[in-house]
Amino acid sequence: MSETVPKPDELVQIDYRPPVRDWMHTPVQFRRGTFCYAAAPKNLKYLEMPNPRDWQPMDEDWKLPENWREIILEGMRERLEKFRSFRLFMDICVRCGACADKCHFYIGSGDPKNMPVLRAELLRSVYRRYFTLAGRLAPKLAGARDLTVDVLKEWFYYFYQCTECRRCSVFCPYGIDTAEVTMLARELLNLVGCNINWAIEPVANCFRTGNHLGVQPHGFKDSIEFAVDELEDLTGVRVEVPIMKKGAEVLFIMPSADYFASPHYYTLLGYLLLFHHVGLDYTVSAYASEGGNFGLFTSHEMIKRLNDKMYREARRLKVKYLIGGECGHMWRVIHQYMDTMNGPADFLEVPVSPVTGTRFEHAASTKMIHICEFTADLIRHGKLKLDPSRNDHWKVTFHDSCNPARAMGLLEEPRYILRNVARHFYEMPENTIREQTFCCGSGSGLGTDENLEMRLRGGLPRANAVKYVRDRFGVNLLTCICAIDKATLPPLLDYWVPGVEVAGVHELVGNALVMEGEKPRTTDLRGQPLASIQPPEVTHA
Amino acid sequence: MDPGPPLIAVSAAEREAVVGRWLARVLATYPEQTSRFLAREPDRFRNPVGHALREGLPLLFDEVSGAFDVARIEGVLDEIMHIRAVQDFRASEAVGFIFFLKPILREILAASGATLEALDRRIDQLALVAFDLYMKCREKVAEIRVNEARQRLFVLEKAAGRRM
Repeated sequence: MSETVPKPDELVQIDYRPPVRDWMHTPVQFRRGTFCYAAAPKNLKYLEMPNPRDWQPMDEDWKLPENWREIILEGMRERLEKFRSFRLFMDICVRCGACADKCHFYIGSGDPKNMPVLRAELLRSVYRRYFTLAGRLAPKLAGARDLTVDVLKEWFYYFYQCTECRRCSVFCPYGIDTAEVTMLARELLNLVGCNINWAIEPVANCFRTGNHLGVQPHGFKDSIEFAVDELEDLTGVRVEVPIMKKGAEVLFIMPSADYFASPHYYTLLGYLLLFHHVGLDYTVSAYASEGGNFGLFTSHEMIKRLNDKMYREARRLKVKYLIGGECGHMWRVIHQYMDTMNGPADFLEVPVSPVTGTRFEHAASTKMIHICEFTADLIRHGKLKLDPSRNDHWKVTFHDSCNPARAMGLLEEPRYILRNVARHFYEMPENTIREQTFCCGSGSGLGTDENLEMRLRGGLPRANAVKYVRDRFGVNLLTCICAIDKATLPPLLDYWVPGVEVAGVHELVGNALVMEGEKPRTTDLRGQPLASIQPPEVTHA
Repeated sequence: MDPGPPLIAVSAAEREAVVGRWLARVLATYPEQTSRFLAREPDRFRNPVGHALREGLPLLFDEVSGAFDVARIEGVLDEIMHIRAVQDFRASEAVGFIFFLKPILREILAASGATLEALDRRIDQLALVAFDLYMKCREKVAEIRVNEARQRLFVLEKAAGRRM
């Protein structure tokens, strides 16, 4: 036996270099913690989507329909004809590599198939095989390959590992929208029932009750009333929140997490104080009770169907225009898809702030403005009474949420608001913010707990920049304007940068607002004592 | 505990050679395209993994050859273990990079006898510290999963508390 036991010196001679294999022939391994679970059949049935069944990605047999290959290829052909952008994105990439090291999942995981160029190549190689002459005649030379079950599994693994954040697109000299490549790949996967529950369940819930969490109208009303009671305890001011009030000027739509999850809830308190402060004639709706649109992570048809309910409700309630809350991908839908899917919303009016008279021309077609635009305009015109010292216990930085930043260019307004409601604001390094912002690593339906390990990898670049400002400036609060961020950044920071909390911009607005008739404020909206009333720190000489 | 005296005198050239070779071997635990990127991209925000290794490994070597201050070691190693604990490594692979030092020191440093044995012992101890940190990270991941689920029902729990 002694001959077979390696000596210590031999033990350290192990070659840890991963085996070098052609990427095309390296099948995916589904390791727990790095993928999302499959959609439950009940949700697919509810949405009348194909192939509902019990299965999981780690199963050998995915229970695909017999003609699954034909379904996918026919789906691809149909989409290549329908979306010229899709064909362009398949053909135009010259593999220059500008995007290669821009993906947060690649940076954090080191997996080369997370390079956006290679991720897209997973789809392109199949496109070439079946839709180009070179690929049909000389597949190997053309970089083409057959569509097999292993390839399908690879698609599932990597296209549900892209958060559609579009950071890579910023660097693409051809302007290839890699998020749309992922969206189309997911559409194709959906055709044979390969989808994830964390995207499909919110969609099904949205159909059923109007929001991702499946909160029914009475639950919605309860949550809002609870917030009103809490606000009264905290501030001494009782605000009124009209629910489904016909003829209100504005329909306000927020992500459902704002009235259900933490720390989103404090942002809701901030909105309610703000609207009361300026006397806005608005309403919320238990039907349009979701800003988020997980259709974006499912299919184009689904985006359209979910977006439609917001405008139908606006029409039913006869409001003039819409204001949207701190939601991320809702704004990609509104700015880039809504107008051609369900717009133009001609039955509404171009948004005009009733307080300042500002006409928001950029929303002339969608008739929907971001709450940060509304608030920044109020501050600019001196319409808010603010005491920024009430946020002195926070040293604040701002995470540009991917979609508001890259899909609608909302870069200055949140910063302008933060500088006016807080006195300690620090930017993260330039190449990690604004258009170059790093994703939270959990967007596009991937923010589920079974996928936590992958999320921690993807979130490393963002957390790393937060760590820098924590260590350098003592930053203890990361603000953002996206519900997925607010849900997934706290665990991310808990792992990588303990001691930094997460808040919405309007939570800090709510802290700073000096309300008429308020009682002396001793706490912030979280119930934490304000710095100004804390006993002075005892210092020892 | 005050750090002890250095174990072995190391010239600047030897230090550079040891650290360079160690870094190259650790980077080689990643796929080829990635190890090139991790080695070449200098920006710490575009390349946090490469940065952590470039900054951390020399300091760890200084401790192995020098004072071996465990508190300082933990400070440096913590960042690297946070990364390797969630990357696509088995536990042995995540921690195993510490042992790469043994043959490298034999090749480069003119150490022998008792000094070599002492260096080996320190590397073993370093690996144990790395393993403890690895386990802490994995436990943290499990804890985060549990806490996360609760935050998502925050208002429900809070409201139930208020009405009781």
